[in-house]
Amino acid sequence: MKVTVEQIDREREEELIVRCHDPDASWVESVREAASGQRTVCCWREDMLRRLKLSEVFYFEVVDDRSFVYTQAEVFEAKEKLYEFERLCMGSALFRCSKSMILNAEKIDYVRPSLSGRFEAVLSNGEKVVVSRKYVADLKRLLGV
Amino acid sequence: MTVYGIIMLCTFFMCLLFNPTSELPVVTFFGRIMVFTLIALLSLGVYYSKEELTVKAWWMRTVLHLLLLEAVLLPLAHCWGFWHSGTDILVYAGFILLAKALWHLADYSLNAKTAAQINERIRKNRLEKRA
Repeated sequence: MKVTVEQIDREREEELIVRCHDPDASWVESVREAASGQRTVCCWREDMLRRLKLSEVFYFEVVDDRSFVYTQAEVFEAKEKLYEFERLCMGSALFRCSKSMILNAEKIDYVRPSLSGRFEAVLSNGEKVVVSRKYVADLKRLLGV
Repeated sequence: MTVYGIIMLCTFFMCLLFNPTSELPVVTFFGRIMVFTLIALLSLGVYYSKEELTVKAWWMRTVLHLLLLEAVLLPLAHCWGFWHSGTDILVYAGFILLAKALWHLADYSLNAKTAAQINERIRKNRLEKRA
């Protein structure tokens, strides 16, 4: 496939034109996503609405039917259910890591086994979360193990 | 398979200790070991939970699982002539405990290997990003 990149002046608006046979092809969708910026999730904290990029999210957690979004140092609340987060995160670095959590694989510092037959993931902000054995295969696939 | 292997291993040492010259009917013997394995696997249901288990809950269920194994396997083993006297029951109960500990140890070892693979990949990915 021919790829043309043209450098333009700062004054002109950046533009991406895709000439393809099938506008629904997966690679076109990927280009669309990349062009429109990263996927975001709408959440709030103390009556303040925020739109977070998925890359900012450390993990999503559902506790007592309430959904929380954890970032480096803050916790937000969101409306989405876990399956909706899962759908949103498809094809990204976020994966289901337990019955109530979706974790960003890029934020994992290291993992260690625990006696309970599960794994403990230590995140780059020092937080520790549980990764169920059932979902470890997904993590391995994401990382390319 | 792991459970079956552990039960076979424990049975071997039990026989070696208490009845090294005994001759067993092969089909009956292996059938009984299979029943033991099936019971051990079914009893893992005590770990089932809709919510993610906390560490404390996991330990409580582990103790419960051990008690359940002892409560079911000891009378069954007695019926099938695996133990006879008071001393035997203690040793047999000890072997059940040992088998459970071995199971968790084997599980932990496998997980440690997986964790090492994942950590190695994370390290490589990080280096690639920096480069």
